Amino acid sequence: MNTQPGIQAALANVTSAGPVLLAILPEATRFSLRINSGNLAAASKALGLSLPTTIGTRAASGTRSALCHGPDEWEILASEDDRADIEAAFAAIYLKAPHSLTDISDREITIVIEGDKAVELLSVGCPINLDRLAVGNGKRTVFDSAQVVIYRDARDSFRMQVWRSFLAHVWGLLNIANCELAAGY
Amino acid sequence: MSAYRVESHGRIKHHQPVSFTFDGETVEGREGDTVASALLANGKHLMGRSFKYHRPRGAIAAGSEEPNALIGTTRSEGRFEPNTRATVQEIYPGLKTESQNSYPSLKYDIGAINDRLYMLFSAGFYYKTFMWPRSFWDKVYEPFIRRAAGLGVSPTVEDPDHYASRYLHCDILIVGAGPAGIAAALAAGKSGAKVLLADEGAEMGGSVLSEPGVNIDGCSAWNWLEARLDELRGMENVTLMTRTTAIGYYHQNMVGLCQKLTDHLTTLPEGAPRERLWRIRANQVILTQGALEKPLVFHENDRPGVMLAGSAQTYLNRYGVLVGRRPVVVTSHDSAWYAAFDLADAGAEVQAIVDLRDKVQSELSDEATKRGIRVLTSHTVTGTSGRLRIKSIRINPLRGSKAGRAETVNCDALLMSGGWTPSLHLFSHTKGTLRWEDDTKAYLPDQKAEACHIAGAGRGLWGIGKALTDGGEAGVAAATAAGFTTIAEAYPVENDREGTGISLRELPTDRSPGKAKAFIDFQNDVTAKDIRLAVSEGMHSIEHVKRYTTNGMATDQGKMSNMNGLNIAADALGKPQTEVGLTTFRPPYTPTTFGAFAGYHKGSHFEVTRKTPIDDWAEENGAAFEPVALWRRAWYFPKPGEDLHAAVARECRATRESLGIFDASTLGKIEVSGPDAVEFMNRMYTNPWTKLGVSRCRYGLLLGEDGYILDDGVIGRLSDDKFHVTTTTGGAARVLNMMEDYLQTEWPDLKVWLTSTTEQWATIALNGPNARNLLEPFVEGQDMSDEAFPHMSVSQCTVAGFPARLFRISFTGELGFEVNVPARYGRALWENLWEAGQQYDVCPYGTETMHVLRAEKGFIIVGQDTDGTVTPDDAGMSWAVGKKKTDFVGMRSLSRPDIAAPGRKQLVGLLTRDSKTVLDEGAQIVADPKQPKPMKMLGHVTSSYWSETLGRSVALAVVQGGRDRMGDSLYVPMPGKDVEVEVTGTVFYDPENARLKL
Amino acid sequence: MLLIHCPYCDETLPEPEFAYAGEAHIDRPADPQQLSDEEWRDFLFIRTNAKGPHYERWRHINGCARFFNAVRDTVSDKFLTTYKAGEARPDLAKLLEGQK
Repeated sequence: MNTQPGIQAALANVTSAGPVLLAILPEATRFSLRINSGNLAAASKALGLSLPTTIGTRAASGTRSALCHGPDEWEILASEDDRADIEAAFAAIYLKAPHSLTDISDREITIVIEGDKAVELLSVGCPINLDRLAVGNGKRTVFDSAQVVIYRDARDSFRMQVWRSFLAHVWGLLNIANCELAAGY
Repeated sequence: MSAYRVESHGRIKHHQPVSFTFDGETVEGREGDTVASALLANGKHLMGRSFKYHRPRGAIAAGSEEPNALIGTTRSEGRFEPNTRATVQEIYPGLKTESQNSYPSLKYDIGAINDRLYMLFSAGFYYKTFMWPRSFWDKVYEPFIRRAAGLGVSPTVEDPDHYASRYLHCDILIVGAGPAGIAAALAAGKSGAKVLLADEGAEMGGSVLSEPGVNIDGCSAWNWLEARLDELRGMENVTLMTRTTAIGYYHQNMVGLCQKLTDHLTTLPEGAPRERLWRIRANQVILTQGALEKPLVFHENDRPGVMLAGSAQTYLNRYGVLVGRRPVVVTSHDSAWYAAFDLADAGAEVQAIVDLRDKVQSELSDEATKRGIRVLTSHTVTGTSGRLRIKSIRINPLRGSKAGRAETVNCDALLMSGGWTPSLHLFSHTKGTLRWEDDTKAYLPDQKAEACHIAGAGRGLWGIGKALTDGGEAGVAAATAAGFTTIAEAYPVENDREGTGISLRELPTDRSPGKAKAFIDFQNDVTAKDIRLAVSEGMHSIEHVKRYTTNGMATDQGKMSNMNGLNIAADALGKPQTEVGLTTFRPPYTPTTFGAFAGYHKGSHFEVTRKTPIDDWAEENGAAFEPVALWRRAWYFPKPGEDLHAAVARECRATRESLGIFDASTLGKIEVSGPDAVEFMNRMYTNPWTKLGVSRCRYGLLLGEDGYILDDGVIGRLSDDKFHVTTTTGGAARVLNMMEDYLQTEWPDLKVWLTSTTEQWATIALNGPNARNLLEPFVEGQDMSDEAFPHMSVSQCTVAGFPARLFRISFTGELGFEVNVPARYGRALWENLWEAGQQYDVCPYGTETMHVLRAEKGFIIVGQDTDGTVTPDDAGMSWAVGKKKTDFVGMRSLSRPDIAAPGRKQLVGLLTRDSKTVLDEGAQIVADPKQPKPMKMLGHVTSSYWSETLGRSVALAVVQGGRDRMGDSLYVPMPGKDVEVEVTGTVFYDPENARLKL
Repeated sequence: MLLIHCPYCDETLPEPEFAYAGEAHIDRPADPQQLSDEEWRDFLFIRTNAKGPHYERWRHINGCARFFNAVRDTVSDKFLTTYKAGEARPDLAKLLEGQK
């Protein structure tokens, strides 16, 4: 689990004692890729996976994955040691397929939310109908007033990425709600 | 055993006594009682005093529509709530309740003097009484109104409870679990649709709970109910919520539900919220809210013991309480006859049934006769007596519309019914229209504005049988509309009580109508006479009548009073009701706690508090914080005994003399990247960017299209195609949004992309003569000499082993650097620099010192020295505008006539003639303080500080034609004195910028 | 809280994901310097302020981040349609016909 002093301290006051597992994932590589649709083939080749074109859908290959956020926007996740390789692969296609590949590994913190009450827990802050978020997909949306990206990994397993400065707020709410669930409410 | 408790009746647990207190006195009730039912079981009708006249009042109803019986409830320290309806609050051991609006006691109340003075308090009395003399307003009227205003008293300590909220999406939401709602839920539930059935009561069943004598589908009503609720509980796709009130119906089938979770519990479970606000989004909504009974309007109809007949029936059948042993029933509707029969069968000696109508169905009169009840059709009621509880009523025979000779009949309760009004509040929230139906004498739903269905008494169908059939059909219709298939079962009903009636205005009387206290809005003490007076004084719109009289403005939101008020107003106006119209129902349906609306947003979650990666260090080291946009930022770092000024003076000195360290992580950062990046920058910012070299920085100024300064920041060119843009802390999101807007909608052809990197980077600023000395040993990959890395440079290198974007820039006028490292390393880098910086007495400083240091140099803060009406020239920053550029955002506006005109306010420096005086920020500036008022304002002070470095105060200001006034004296009127100031340039310290070049 | 159809995501989603962005179909002039003061004033400040159907812009700011256009009735708050930025102004008569 995460060993960053800043994050630990921010969360130290909050203990989770509810039925839903809440945990912070260690940082990994995260890029925002912006590229016009005409150059998708080159980008897919550079990344080694076929970039999905329907907003909210994902594709993965090995430890690399890409979530389509918008018509020209993808979020790429990869292992921590893969950063330089991805940068190099995209740098090599830049002249032919201009794009923006921006490192945002540290921008968001990832919270794991897991358990059969996970959807209920998320519903304290998510106005969207989570039934419509299919397993394997992801979506940028809001939790309370914070922008988040939610990945649904299984029916009852989610990852929620939240901008670092909003973490204490979001984490606090999740834990209050988890205690409500623990109390049977 | 109380004389009013009937063991054979009710759904409460008769063998489970529960004690609570009312005004300090112990009251014994039973598990399942409300405060009202328990008090009534003990023969207590007096529960409160009215708002205006302080008249004694009892419960008139048995549900959430109750206008009179408002009480304060206390569970424990801090858990006090005023204005709880005694008819809704369930009792539990230890509950403390108190009456309201009375002093010194409920029985002997001083405020009741208002009742004698009622002629003064007629409609519009606020407007008439408190008009003049004007001098009375502050000293007499306002204190009087403030003392008299308000229901109950406010809690005085913080609410210890927590309040929850959730979103929920369903196919079908059903509001109201009476027979129609349950039938709808059964039909819809069987379709497999996701169904939510909510009811405000503690139990589901609605009118079925008060009608145990009805047979449904071959079994008793209550057995049928239990079986059907079990069936619903067994459906995985159906959720049942009790104690849950639909408070508002909003756009596109969003309905707000407030669920009370713990107010009925003896002990509070750890972690349980008191209430939860549900935001429901339903594909289809079914409204099965039933109908509300209307009071009759006659003289002294507000005496304790006067109650709605249907409510009396509910008290008997649900709570095992006879509200009186010798009641009289007065009615214009059949339903009250059934109440009379139920009470008589439970042992009450019903003194008479008085019906306003000429005749009633023979079955009713036969049933009455069978029970030995005196029947008086074509009679009216003209008054009541009894101080704190009704003792007798005056009954008069009717000859046409005239009341004949009165007869006095003794009684201990008066049960009234003026017919029923469909409960269409939620439907009205949607702007659905209503139509008057003469058969039912009621407004019924007409045109729908949302995907909703209304069934049962809510659309004027009386009786359980009709409600079940109609509810089932609504369930099928809703399920079908939501894409499901189902059928409704038939539930044959025996012994149903349907009934009809008529709708009346004030009852005929043999007394002077001018003296009648015939109440319509009980809580606000509005009488029929008030309505007529309002109309005669020119209030011809029903909305004006409402506001002039306050009819319908009580916490019951007109549930009791609207229809009677409308009938009387229509009569006074000589128009049919349909032409007068209804006032608008607005959410919430019933009073809702602030806690429920606030939800989790209190205490530390009141709003988002954004924190930087270095925030913890600042907290550990005693920083005082200030909010900046959603962030909290270290404001200053006081040492023991230091106040703001002492700490800031020390931090300024330390930074100017040696080294200061500052957390600048909140600065907005945008990565502008792509082949057209430089073209995009040229179009957005006032400055020219084409010739800015790689690894160089420039101060950028961003305008709105109106030509006014919107944002600023230092921008570094990382490569030909990539810029690291910084924005103000508060402007980050706004600027990115604006840039995206231009890019997506005006210049979609540009190959450039924007990414917010505000939170990717932690930013640490080092300022002071020792800044390089500290930093240099940590830097790899960049020659730190002044020649290799001059002022306004940027480098991608490593600092303390962390990948970094290193800027040589200064917002203080000292030699300065800003180190950006990935946020995860922010605190580690800070601590490295902190430790190594001890040799230079490194000083952490906060936003206040930052503000002082930049003001000494005349650097503006957008939003402080600018206010949305300041152009680059106004700010003395024409140098930042590219002279050869042909277009950029806002450029055209700079030649608009009023922006090019002379005499605009310009940013200047101000030095007080008395160097120790620090001007107030925001203070106005005048040329001559002796001129008559109102004085001509020349401008105002935008920034003002004590400068420790200069040993005097400094200020920035915007002044009309300011740059032409250099050296002039102007005046700043401040409390107690007029301060003389000299107009100067904006740079107070090191105008040659020598200190940057160290 | 409204539900809004994002023409890029092709999904109908709750209002907190969106931000209002003013009147639609007001193009920034290609060369502002060529405009008279009056023309520039009109571009800057003059808006329709419609009572009824209104062409307006929204941004799916907490979603795909795209700006798009909508026709919304300012009286009933009902959306008649939404469409992508750059697409032509839809015919109001046809939209109103479709509502019936």
